[in-house]
Amino acid sequence: MTKSMKNDSNFIEGRRSFLKGTAYSVAGATLATGVFKTVATTEIQAESKFTPTPKTLAFYPPLEEWDSFTELDGNDWKRGGTSRNGVQSEENPDGIKATEYMLVPTSCSNCEASCGLTAWVDLSTYKAGGQLAVRKYMGNPLHSGSRGRNCAKGYAAQSQMYDPDRIPFPLMRAPGSKRGEGKWVRTTWDEAMAKIGKKMHDTLKVGDEISKKSIMYHVGRPNENGFGHRVPHSMGLDGYDSHTNICSAGARQGTIQWSNDDRNSPDWANAKLIFLQSSHAADAGHYFQQAAGRIAEARKKGAKLVVMDPRLSNSAGMADLWVPCWPGTETALYLYLANRILNEKGINGEDLVNHNFVKNWVNWDHLMKDREYLQVLVDKEYIKAVPAGDSYEDFITMISEMYSPYTLDFVAEECRIEKRIVEKLYDMFIDAGARVATYIWRAGPIGHKGGWMIARAGFLPFVLRGAMAGDKGGVGLHHWHVISVNGKGDAATQNGARPPKVDVWNEIAWPPEYPLSSYEMSHIMPHLLLDDEWRNKWNSKGLKVPEKLAVWIPRMYNPVWINPDGFRWIECLKREDKIEMSFNLSPTWSETNWYCDFILPVGLAGERHDQHSEATEPKRWLSFRNPALRVALEKMGWKPKDPTRATLEAHIKAGLGEVWEEVEFWANIMVHHVDPDGSLGVRKYWASKEDPTRAVTIPEWYQAAFDKLPNLKKAAKAAYPDSQYPNYEMMRDRGTWLEEDNIFKPQERPLKKVGTKYISHGHEYAEENVRKDEFGVIMATDAHGKEKAIGVEVDGELVQGFHTLTKKLDFYCEWFKDWKWPEYAIPIYPTTKEGRVKMTHVVTQVHHDFMKTDNDFALNTVFRLPYNIHTRSVNSKHLMEISQNHNPVWIYTKDAEKLNIKRGDAVKVTIQDTVCGLESGYFIAMAVPTEATMPGVLACSHHAGRWKLKNAVDIPGFEHKLGILGLGAPLYEMTMDGKIGTLKPTQSIIDGLNSRKESWQFKEYNKDLDNIWWDGLSGSWQNAVAASHPDPIAGHHAWHQKVSMELAGKDDVIGDIYVNYENNMKIYQAWRDDLTRPLDETDTLRRPQHIKRPAVPLSDKAYAVKITG
Amino acid sequence: MEQMKKDIENRIAIYALISRLMLVEVDVAFLEQIESDPDLLELFPNYMHWDKRKTLSKELLIEEHYNVDFTNLFLMHLVPYESFYTRDDQMIESGGDNPVLELYNELDFRVELDKARVVSADHIGVELEFMYMLCMALQKALEAEDKDGICELLQVQRAFLKEHLLEWTPLFLINAKRESRTPLYHDGAELSLEFLLSDFEYITAQLDSHCQTQAVEN
Repeated sequence: MTKSMKNDSNFIEGRRSFLKGTAYSVAGATLATGVFKTVATTEIQAESKFTPTPKTLAFYPPLEEWDSFTELDGNDWKRGGTSRNGVQSEENPDGIKATEYMLVPTSCSNCEASCGLTAWVDLSTYKAGGQLAVRKYMGNPLHSGSRGRNCAKGYAAQSQMYDPDRIPFPLMRAPGSKRGEGKWVRTTWDEAMAKIGKKMHDTLKVGDEISKKSIMYHVGRPNENGFGHRVPHSMGLDGYDSHTNICSAGARQGTIQWSNDDRNSPDWANAKLIFLQSSHAADAGHYFQQAAGRIAEARKKGAKLVVMDPRLSNSAGMADLWVPCWPGTETALYLYLANRILNEKGINGEDLVNHNFVKNWVNWDHLMKDREYLQVLVDKEYIKAVPAGDSYEDFITMISEMYSPYTLDFVAEECRIEKRIVEKLYDMFIDAGARVATYIWRAGPIGHKGGWMIARAGFLPFVLRGAMAGDKGGVGLHHWHVISVNGKGDAATQNGARPPKVDVWNEIAWPPEYPLSSYEMSHIMPHLLLDDEWRNKWNSKGLKVPEKLAVWIPRMYNPVWINPDGFRWIECLKREDKIEMSFNLSPTWSETNWYCDFILPVGLAGERHDQHSEATEPKRWLSFRNPALRVALEKMGWKPKDPTRATLEAHIKAGLGEVWEEVEFWANIMVHHVDPDGSLGVRKYWASKEDPTRAVTIPEWYQAAFDKLPNLKKAAKAAYPDSQYPNYEMMRDRGTWLEEDNIFKPQERPLKKVGTKYISHGHEYAEENVRKDEFGVIMATDAHGKEKAIGVEVDGELVQGFHTLTKKLDFYCEWFKDWKWPEYAIPIYPTTKEGRVKMTHVVTQVHHDFMKTDNDFALNTVFRLPYNIHTRSVNSKHLMEISQNHNPVWIYTKDAEKLNIKRGDAVKVTIQDTVCGLESGYFIAMAVPTEATMPGVLACSHHAGRWKLKNAVDIPGFEHKLGILGLGAPLYEMTMDGKIGTLKPTQSIIDGLNSRKESWQFKEYNKDLDNIWWDGLSGSWQNAVAASHPDPIAGHHAWHQKVSMELAGKDDVIGDIYVNYENNMKIYQAWRDDLTRPLDETDTLRRPQHIKRPAVPLSDKAYAVKITG
Repeated sequence: MEQMKKDIENRIAIYALISRLMLVEVDVAFLEQIESDPDLLELFPNYMHWDKRKTLSKELLIEEHYNVDFTNLFLMHLVPYESFYTRDDQMIESGGDNPVLELYNELDFRVELDKARVVSADHIGVELEFMYMLCMALQKALEAEDKDGICELLQVQRAFLKEHLLEWTPLFLINAKRESRTPLYHDGAELSLEFLLSDFEYITAQLDSHCQTQAVEN
């Protein structure tokens, strides 16, 4: 033994003799685990084509084998594969089981990202006389965005499909019962369509302005591009409500002000710095799995990761720098970066501002020309004096002065961040040059009053560094990278063209207090419907505000649970005088369904058709969602009785249930029930051009829709030369398409000119109708005499430019000034306490100014739980198992010590509004003291806390009880009296499920339900306690809350909530009345016409307004 | 030969012991077996003198200490699979292309992975149990005084140690010892490596002494 061997740091400290003269008294056989089966005797069987272990992890069956691919059984690989045992057959019963599958491509629908999936349909079992079923969902390797990869939610599509409590057929509220009583009867799609269609017909037939505002299609996460918009549009209605205002309206607003685009679109993979504001993108949100993969690739190439978040999220935990910033103060930090970029030099003495980009692509010239507005900046004390000149250099000098107050000292105090972190952030930001990628979406911009300014200010340092040029490794814009043709199958319809613009403006979706909202104010729909005073006020001023809805149609949406002020929603939905009929197109049970008249079960990821595209990278790709069982049946020769209802028929035949899809449903109800004789002018938009007696079919619709994509069309024609519907067939077989790759800096593309005509967005403009204004903007006059910007001159070239009126990025948002908000028409934030009072519209409702005692906290609610982000995923046993349904309240350890709160304690969290001072009530939750949230800031995601009021319901004629949300929601008892609402848990998930085993559907698949172990009683329905906080400008619900926290009382249990929803109505009204700047007599338009108003295109008549009195 | 017959019992016992320790979580019966034999217990010197072993119940020790350590060492933070160390891409080869699996197949051994609760047959616990199986076979050969069989089995054992276990387990076991948080796994990791090295020398010596006609590759 050498000397070094004796050193303690070496492994072997001494040598012992193991083979002693005497044997150990314990026999080896009693110790050994015994994992070897003794000697195998089976002879090697015949050659087979299987590859037990692919050579690479990326192995996937080649496309040409997707219609029939045989794979070894999952259990049998442990037995040594076919080389030892051969393939199972009559002659070789002990062989390895092999299953023939058809791989039907589709795409995930469990978040917005639309990752490609393949549904593995088991043909072997079906051909042997068994049920046609999907055995698993895998990735689709052809998908450009997801590249064959999925997160847990993608693979969970199967457990959702065979959910034990799946709604097996359309349900109707039992005649004579009231909404919310929970009495249901089975109905048919035909009966439901007849009843609903008649109500819609009768409503539309009235034909007046009110009738065109009386049907509302309320869409949760759409996961398709434009079909849902067409539903109200084709009926001539302004009747679309989206969920953007509880999700992303703040970020959209900030982005619209800069670029008139809906959102930004980063190039993660080529960035040098990944700058995440929150855990979104890499943990759970837009577009998690695809973004995370590309972020990982960038990091592999050396990119750094910064995560700004008050919570140490998974992303922050693995970041190079965690920047815990007091929620809502992020604006200050961004303006600090701007200050240093403007006022400091690089290590070689160079300017840090990318002048080439800023000078060419920022609308500084418009600002410097507007001397009147420059005086406003002086009056507001943003700058000391109006600059003498109006040059670019004057602009830079002016904003260098304007942002100089955002110092290190200020930002450390305002954001409550250590200075060293702030400085490190700045260094990393500068080091990355223009290759900084970000995705500003949820978190700050949706959490706060003025959250939109966080996005607005957030982009400023990116602009100054040239990172907003849409170049490699930087930030581009959404509409460059997305495809929207799902609603564009018009050519397949009898009418052959798009419906005309709609002439009415619906105040229930777009109330006059929020002319700039982004977008519909759907989270206050019940408040608006129930507020007679508000309606009367506006009607007296000349508007025609509907007092009720004839039909309310949530579509895969659960606003009762996910929106704030849930009791107000319930109150409204129960009122049959306010919502005369309601039906939810919903694949799963939900809290909202409970208060509807019909629940119509529509398909999940592999059970429906959608064209879906998202801007996840600098490309334009699309997913085509397929109903796997239908496609498999059709490919095996099955034909539906009615080709317009093939998806429904296929699902019934395959034993999935009477599960349908929206495309076929809407076409059928419109043609046969809403407008059966065509007298309303609606039928022609849904009847088939090929055979106007029936609805349009799926192949017809998608053939026409995909015709809008020239590259797809060309490839399909080449691949399916003899097909009548080549576009449809190619997408059915591949499930995805990449229309355009490498989309960088499209604003620099030359303005198209053919001969003497300019071409922009499909419109032609004769040369004589085109002029260049003083800023180089190319203005064209259209056939209606309207002038619009179609391009801009940059460096002597005519280029397409950005989507703004100035065709550049709007540092100065002139239209915002004109729409009553001059003090915020540039990125700005108050630097003093007095300033924060004066500029309250851009200061969070949870600012630390409001925290007066040790027991006052900001509650951070806006972070997603990666496995459970949408309401429909709650009944996936796989997702529920990994989520454990836990949603505790995170509290900083020292804060917990002060309040004597320990891990696992039940705590009472009481919400108090900071605009009007009223209390909303409280929820009881489990506390977890942790270093992973910053001092003074609690964290509890609003994505948990599901509930149900009955464990199961009796459906007359159904063989057993129909279970409700068995895997994901405990049973609760509810009280509500119009003012106070409460919820108290009464039964755990385990007890609920075990008490009704006979009700489990798809029993073979759900044998393991005996093993569930989660009780689901650690989250609370905090959304109900929260009052609606409509931001006065973006209109988003400002999610974060000022709360106090204390140990729960002895009678309180986790899951309890107590809500004063009478107060909540007053809180909403305070936010509306104290903060907004509504339309008034000076206004002639409802909203600026150039910014997006999604869904239903409106005429000038609809935009026109005259406020009187 | 006679000495080899005596030795084989202990080789069997130690391979059984360490393979069991590395493969699945310990249970009360296993711990009692170790403690019932002072010679075995001596192989775990720190464990033998550990206070908590004397003051806490075995159930509590398992639940709050040993299982935590096992999870850390074998499931979460270290990778106890050969292919992770030997493949360039550091992927665990869980299927038919795994050379260890091929070897088992050639020798007509089959691993029941579901029983072992591991994802691949080249798990340290499985490889150690394979050595245990080879020792059992050697014991039979010794009883039958089948000299060719004895030498062949010694050759196989030596080759398996040289080409597989000793190729990668030292790195794993050194890490496991350093990462361990209980004397049981600390001592177990040390014991395993020490024994493997010593056993390799032992087998080589036996081959030199008894199987001269068969060349021993170094």
